[in-house]
Amino acid sequence: MTNITLEDLLVMESNSDRDDVVDLRSLDYVSSYDDHLMCPICHCPFIHPVRLKCDHVFCQKCLVSAITTFAAARDEFTCPTCRTHTGGVYLKLPRLLINMCDEIRVRCPYRNEGCEEVAPRVFIQTHVDKYCGYRLMDCPLGSCGMKTRKKGLDPDGRCLHELRQCTRCEGNIMEQDYGEHFSELCPNLQTTCPDCQTSILRRELKQHANSCPESIHACPASKYGCPIQLKRGDLATHEQTCPLIAMGPYFEAQNARLDSLELTIRHLKQRNEIFEDGLANIRTTLAQSPTAVPVADGRATTSSPTRRSNDPASSNSQSQIDSSNQYTATTTNYLLSLHESLREEVGQLSHAITDLDARASMAIMSECLRIKEDMAHTNAAVSSVRMQVQWLLNPRLHQHQGAQRTGGARTATPAGSSPAAAAGPSTSTIPLRPRRLSDSGREGTKL
Amino acid sequence: MGSQKRIAKELAELTETAPEGITVKLADESNLYIWNVYMEGPENSPYQNGTFHLTLTLPTEYPFKPPTVSFRTKIYHPNVTNDDKGSMCLGMLRADEWKPSSRIQAVLQFARQLLAEPMPDDAVEGRIAEQYKSDFARYEEVAREWTRKYASSSSSGRA
Repeated sequence: MTNITLEDLLVMESNSDRDDVVDLRSLDYVSSYDDHLMCPICHCPFIHPVRLKCDHVFCQKCLVSAITTFAAARDEFTCPTCRTHTGGVYLKLPRLLINMCDEIRVRCPYRNEGCEEVAPRVFIQTHVDKYCGYRLMDCPLGSCGMKTRKKGLDPDGRCLHELRQCTRCEGNIMEQDYGEHFSELCPNLQTTCPDCQTSILRRELKQHANSCPESIHACPASKYGCPIQLKRGDLATHEQTCPLIAMGPYFEAQNARLDSLELTIRHLKQRNEIFEDGLANIRTTLAQSPTAVPVADGRATTSSPTRRSNDPASSNSQSQIDSSNQYTATTTNYLLSLHESLREEVGQLSHAITDLDARASMAIMSECLRIKEDMAHTNAAVSSVRMQVQWLLNPRLHQHQGAQRTGGARTATPAGSSPAAAAGPSTSTIPLRPRRLSDSGREGTKL
Repeated sequence: MGSQKRIAKELAELTETAPEGITVKLADESNLYIWNVYMEGPENSPYQNGTFHLTLTLPTEYPFKPPTVSFRTKIYHPNVTNDDKGSMCLGMLRADEWKPSSRIQAVLQFARQLLAEPMPDDAVEGRIAEQYKSDFARYEEVAREWTRKYASSSSSGRA
């Protein structure tokens, strides 16, 4: 088994890309073939197969396309089936396998032109090149530009696309189609009516068939089941006796009625669907609400029984309409009771607040009274102390006045201070004495 | 065009022997590259009794580049985006996972398998995946509801 290099592969591929080569992939495969002979990329039996290191086989052309569309570098190319690195190794296949692929029978690519040839795939190229009479060839006259089947080519190399006038109908017919037109298709050709055997022109045959008295027609009531088929002439007498024709108008009226009823049913069905949708929507919104509300208020006394009654209903989504009515009622009840309990709670809270308010003002009042009493006591104490002090100072004041009267005004102060120092031991507040003296002295003068 | 032959062949195979619950046809008879796929919801899944319309778009480089699959019918599924595109997240359709030897039939069967068994760990709709894992009953209920709403035979125009 020999190695093929990547360059060989690419070159081989570009060589085989010629115009006149039959595309083996677009052929119509007649014989059935084993799926293992199918290229995983193009899904056709292998054409020039190449084997990779990992034992996977592809057509050479498919492999080249895979390599050229491969994202990474060509040296990194991985097997399109198993992603093993190819390592640049491309191998030939055993002759046996190639033969098995080549032996599959295909139709000639010019089948649409009329070629019925079926041949092994390997020979189809030769068939097209040499033997196929239906292959389209360029017209020998280069300026014509039209194509002709190979077998229709004029042996003298004339162009068969020139127009020629028909001697009967005076239409313009192409040279290559003239023979067929003249003997079979010309509208002015004489033919005979198959029913009445009269000779007639080909183009008038259709009109004649509608009026030919010999032609066989079905009863007009055949659509209602009348099996009778008669010549046009006899049909008129049958029509007068056929019961199905008499029933015809009645049948038609019934059909129209059925149609209109079906239409109504369709409308009703649509409306019903719309209603069901709406109902389902309502049901889902209801099913969602009871799960949302109890979370917000765990203290609601009515919540647990209501929830218990709702839960089975929400899980059973197929419940009928009457149960969903009940559903609405219980939910409304539940919401109302919740509202009541909340209102009660608010009332309690406002009570408590007024209570607290009253208590606070009472406390403030009593505290005020106490403080007032205290102040009165203090005031009394202060005034009694003052009285005592005055009483104590009175004799001294008298002494002082006496000294002033006897001595001069200048010596009054030092003289006053020395007797005060002498009298000091008699009072309890020695350090503050001079000040008190002056104070009480001033007070004394004020008084 | 080498791709056309293979696509035509795969299309013929799929229309002749259609896999269970999958119907394929071309969106436009003259264009091989856009397919309409009608997929029935698998049994014992919340998508049962629904018919889902998918679009399969093949690149011109097919089979060397992967096709794309998108849901035209709205579907409640962790692996299908919940927008106008409805793109489906299929591992084998990623550019680096795709192999030229993979077939469209395999892609479609894989997509249907994903309806039967969603893969919440590989999800594109995180919210649905979360619900699928934590509250399966609710997920099933919504998926069934959506199937009834958007994918039942009366709304998909099959009637």
